[in-house]
Amino acid sequence: MPVLEVKNLRKSFGDVKAVQDISFTVEAGEVFTIIGPNGAGKTTTLEIIEGLQPPDAGSIAVAGLSWSKDESAIKTLIGVQPQSSALFDLLTTEENLDLFASFYPTRKSTAEVLEMINLTEHRSKRVKSLSGGQRQRLAIGLAMINDPQVIFLDEPTTGLDPQARRNIWDIILRLKQLGTTIILTTHYMEEAEKLSDRVCIVDQGTVISLDTPAALIGKLTKEREVRLSFYDGEDAAAQTEEALRGLPGIARMEREGANVTLWSPEPEQALYGLLGFTKEHGYRVEHVSIREMSLEDVFIAFTGKEWRD
Amino acid sequence: MSTSAQIMKLFVAQLKTMFREKAVWFWNLFFPVILMVLFMVIFGGGGDGGDFKAKVALVNPAPSASSDSLEAGLRKIPVFEWKSEQPVDSAQADAWVKDKDVDAAIVLPENGNSGDIKLIVNTENESNATTQAIQGILDQYVQRASFAAAGIEPAYRLQTSSITSSSKDLSSVDFLMTGMIALSVAQAGLFGMVDMVEIRRSGLLKRLRMTPLRMGLYGLAGMMVRFVLSFVQIVLLSVIGVIGFGANLALNIPVLIIAFFVGVLAFNALGYLISSFSKSIESYMGVANITSFLMMFISGVFFATSSLPDWLKPVTQVLPLTYFVEGMRDGMVYGSGLFSSSFWIGIGILALWGVAAFSIGALIYRKGKVEVR
Repeated sequence: MPVLEVKNLRKSFGDVKAVQDISFTVEAGEVFTIIGPNGAGKTTTLEIIEGLQPPDAGSIAVAGLSWSKDESAIKTLIGVQPQSSALFDLLTTEENLDLFASFYPTRKSTAEVLEMINLTEHRSKRVKSLSGGQRQRLAIGLAMINDPQVIFLDEPTTGLDPQARRNIWDIILRLKQLGTTIILTTHYMEEAEKLSDRVCIVDQGTVISLDTPAALIGKLTKEREVRLSFYDGEDAAAQTEEALRGLPGIARMEREGANVTLWSPEPEQALYGLLGFTKEHGYRVEHVSIREMSLEDVFIAFTGKEWRD
Repeated sequence: MSTSAQIMKLFVAQLKTMFREKAVWFWNLFFPVILMVLFMVIFGGGGDGGDFKAKVALVNPAPSASSDSLEAGLRKIPVFEWKSEQPVDSAQADAWVKDKDVDAAIVLPENGNSGDIKLIVNTENESNATTQAIQGILDQYVQRASFAAAGIEPAYRLQTSSITSSSKDLSSVDFLMTGMIALSVAQAGLFGMVDMVEIRRSGLLKRLRMTPLRMGLYGLAGMMVRFVLSFVQIVLLSVIGVIGFGANLALNIPVLIIAFFVGVLAFNALGYLISSFSKSIESYMGVANITSFLMMFISGVFFATSSLPDWLKPVTQVLPLTYFVEGMRDGMVYGSGLFSSSFWIGIGILALWGVAAFSIGALIYRKGKVEVR
């Protein structure tokens, strides 16, 4: 049985159709990431799943339970870290965890959670005096205090410095190891690529694409970009360009001074031909690279939008 | 976790939150103390009841046995403070009156047994309270002296006493102290609910709604914390009033508890109502301030409502603070009220305010939920 089943979700606010027919299924133990430009309907979708808003149409099943019948049962099964982490600012880290733990029938030990979110040292500090990254880790700690089956992390790393972001990745990977299902939203492609089992791209309230990061990139990658530059200057570059033109496996080519860029659906084949030619003529190649396609390219290709709009 | 253990946990957490907030200490404890002390120093006369004293001079133009006995009698009247031990001549007395060195000069009759006793006052003070009081006292004295001279025993005498079941009279210090207690408890309720705006704004309310916690328990624990705060206010202000300014307490514990309980709930309900339509902390504070200011001066906190102009009295009679102040005075200094209908009518009106404010607030919250995005 899937941990989460979302079927034909719809939600409008007045004239704005925030969510238009979103469906997906998340299996136990997955890290499932929802990405999409601002205003795509990510947070609304998440809030409907978390039971904060009723959908206009469609259904949600969390571990087979529905919000209308089993609200309190679902609440004990899930843990939520909302986008703006709201905490009791005048209580200490430990007091926050203990208080939230008291709301649930089952709980992890405070010490264990403190250790996982790496705040053991700051257990007696008031939340007010924690740094942004520490606050965010505490918010994640609060989401896991009831040992949930599913944990929702809404942009957990937004606004954090690279080090703090990495700390949060570590926590997510730990949770994954422990078998917790994680539903994540993020603004960082790198993060989605690194952490997710599957990625769901949402735009204008609909699912545009849903697959593993590698498969998504694979779908997109018909041609790879290969760049090379020559020590021997423009002549060598021009001659190479001339020789390669028309070779099979090279879709198109551009030259600018001593730099040649080519696009190929089979970059390996193209490189054999290319390096064979340069070796034959004794041209020294200064630099060769095949550009990695990233989720960001996928995103731009699918949504036609820059990531950070 | 059992419900009572859950409430305890929430109570402790909110208690810590409240008393770790410096603003709570300042506005709910320090500020009322300062305000009360200030008012008591200005209006309370340091606790000795503001006794009336008038400074007078005596002129005895024709000393004789009878004028001497009149003088001796006058000098025994306790409210008169004499400018000089010996009678002075009328020129000197006139000068003192003109310079306002004395409130009045009393001139004895010029010829022996009969004649007028004159009272000379500065024209500027002709109709003020002191002059009228001296006039009254002197008039009474003269009448008694005349009766005595004629050998008549008066048939009627006036004896004045005020009625209270308390052993001592209600002084201005008692009045101010109970007024300040009621005011600060009312303000704690009125302003304290800003927390509701804060947890809504910060998203904490939303976060709590994602847990299985029943929000009713959170609210209940919050009310318990507010009761603790208001209890501390009562004790603190009473101790300062009694020890520092000699206020007198005549406690009627059941009356005090009922008035306190209903009052705290009513004013917190008002705060809750304000929080239901305030989108920001600033707008909440604005409305709470206006509400509190409107009530503060016309609800009998600092001075009795009977001294207000007639057209304002109907307003006073609908305000909840009027009845809360009354109820607290019943329980703290009048020591009466449990079987008086006016006490229960007051409590009823206060309760009505509370129920109405809470119901409207809850309605607005429920309606507003649809629009929360």
